[in-house]
Amino acid sequence: MISVQNLWFSYEPDDRKRPNPDKKYALRDISLEIDKRPTAIIGQNGAGKTTFVRILKGLLTANRGAVTVMGEDVSRTTAARLARNIGLVFQNPNDQLFKKTVMDEAMFGPLNIGMGEGAARKSVMRALDIMELSDKLDTNPHDLALSDKKLLCIASVMAMDTDIIILDEPTISQDYVGREKVKRVIRLLRDEGKSVMTIIHDMDFVAECFERIIVFNEGEKLLDGGAKEVFSDAEMLKKAHLEPPYALQLAISMGLGEVCLTEADVIRCMMEA
Amino acid sequence: MKSLSLYVERDSFIHRVDPITKLFYIFAAIIVPFVMKDLTVSIVCAAVSLILLAVGKVLRNAITVFACLFLIMITIFLIQALANINNATVVFSISGIHFYAEGMINGVKIIMRMTDMVAAFLILILTTKPSDLVEDLIRAGFSPRIGYVIMSIFQIVPHMAGAIDVITDAQRARGVETKGSLPVRIKAFLPLLGPVVLNSFMNTKERAMALEVRAFDAKNKKSFLNEAVNFRHAMAYRVLFVLLAVSAVAWRAGGVLL
Ligand SMILES: Nc1ncnc2c1ncn2[C@@H]1O[C@H](COP(=O)(O)OP(=O)(O)OP(=O)(O)O)[C@@H](O)[C@H]1O
Ligand SMILES: [Mg+2]
Repeated sequence: MISVQNLWFSYEPDDRKRPNPDKKYALRDISLEIDKRPTAIIGQNGAGKTTFVRILKGLLTANRGAVTVMGEDVSRTTAARLARNIGLVFQNPNDQLFKKTVMDEAMFGPLNIGMGEGAARKSVMRALDIMELSDKLDTNPHDLALSDKKLLCIASVMAMDTDIIILDEPTISQDYVGREKVKRVIRLLRDEGKSVMTIIHDMDFVAECFERIIVFNEGEKLLDGGAKEVFSDAEMLKKAHLEPPYALQLAISMGLGEVCLTEADVIRCMMEA
Repeated sequence: MKSLSLYVERDSFIHRVDPITKLFYIFAAIIVPFVMKDLTVSIVCAAVSLILLAVGKVLRNAITVFACLFLIMITIFLIQALANINNATVVFSISGIHFYAEGMINGVKIIMRMTDMVAAFLILILTTKPSDLVEDLIRAGFSPRIGYVIMSIFQIVPHMAGAIDVITDAQRARGVETKGSLPVRIKAFLPLLGPVVLNSFMNTKERAMALEVRAFDAKNKKSFLNEAVNFRHAMAYRVLFVLLAVSAVAWRAGGVLL
């Protein structure tokens, strides 16, 4: 679905006269293929995760390397055209919301990518229902609680019904109920056959929802593989300053021989033992 | 963040001079040529200001500004050379149009004064951080509120530019075409205005609150993050500039009386 080859990116522009030799790269030589598996991108603050997905989305342009989204070369198209295939929920909701009401905000994307009004309305209402925002249609998005703002951002991207959906830290500021909503949405999208990619700092959440994990560290791809495989590589996780999920830490300290990612895993292992 | 300020970071003697002394220089550089209505004085003043720009290593940056003024200067010169009321002595003629000595001299005088004045202001603008200027003014007793307003002017435009970028990204991400032909760009730009202005207002409100919770309004004496630009002979220079201005006025007043 998405293919990235030898991607380099820096926020520092090249000098017009001579290239800047000690330029700092936010991303260095990233190559990977994104498939249908729900994928989590993890890594420390400043590792380059947001930068990476903004490039996939066409909002930033790579200095070097090639990115194709559903066969289309990102450098040859515009973010607007990519919007039909790939939706991005911004990390900071205040950067994403700009309409005056919840309804307008959610309708904005679907209408722009050419969904008919009827279909758009249906899609929007469904997304807002899932997020439990349908009683706030006329509220100004900026008057919502931060957690609701984030859910609205997710709903308005979901309503666009793109094949690829990227969420940048969806659980930010969510309480337990909000987290469960996000979890439900991710599972729902996966069941609809969409490819979901999520940047996230919450390892327990990762363990529960994602099959594949990509670890970024200081602008480089450190690890890429199945959830169990990545979380069992203690050394690399340490290098990336990440902690394994709680269930796995528990399993290890209890001396269970298996890589357990969730509480259910731990319980199953204990029963078997 | 982008900044509206034209400050050019260099290491030079002029950069080490404190902002207030530069204000004194501007004062002298304006008063002296205006009261001593003499061509030589105007030329000398302009030359001094330009040399100071050069000492500050910002002459090249100043040239851009002068390039913009060039057309105005030429126009002034031509109008003076052709149509000054005192015009009497024809110096040369081009296809029947007479150029007069009196007008040309007056034209040069005006141009020199403009050059001097603009250069004097550029010395301040190009070699001083706006924040240093404002902090120095507050230290000298100006109201911090006025200082804040001045700083806000320097910040609001870059801030709006930043807000435009953010909202453009939000719109591109959801299918608004912002690249391509002029009509496409205009069509993309107009819907931005509402959100951008709204966004700025919200920011202003939050900023005001942020200032208040950190005791912006407190009546006690404030301390400053940046050390005052400590320029050793500031007083001497300031006195010198005032003396120059005063003696120019005195000389002129004396001349009129005699
Ligand atoms: N607009 C920008 N201009 C300049 N540098 C930037 C910009 N945005 C990010 N950076 C820098 O690029 C690097 C990667 O930032 P990025 O936002 O991609 O990290 P991240 O992995 O998303 O971090 P976080 O978990 O905090 O969101 C950081 O060093 C950051 O300081
Ligand atoms: Mg980020």
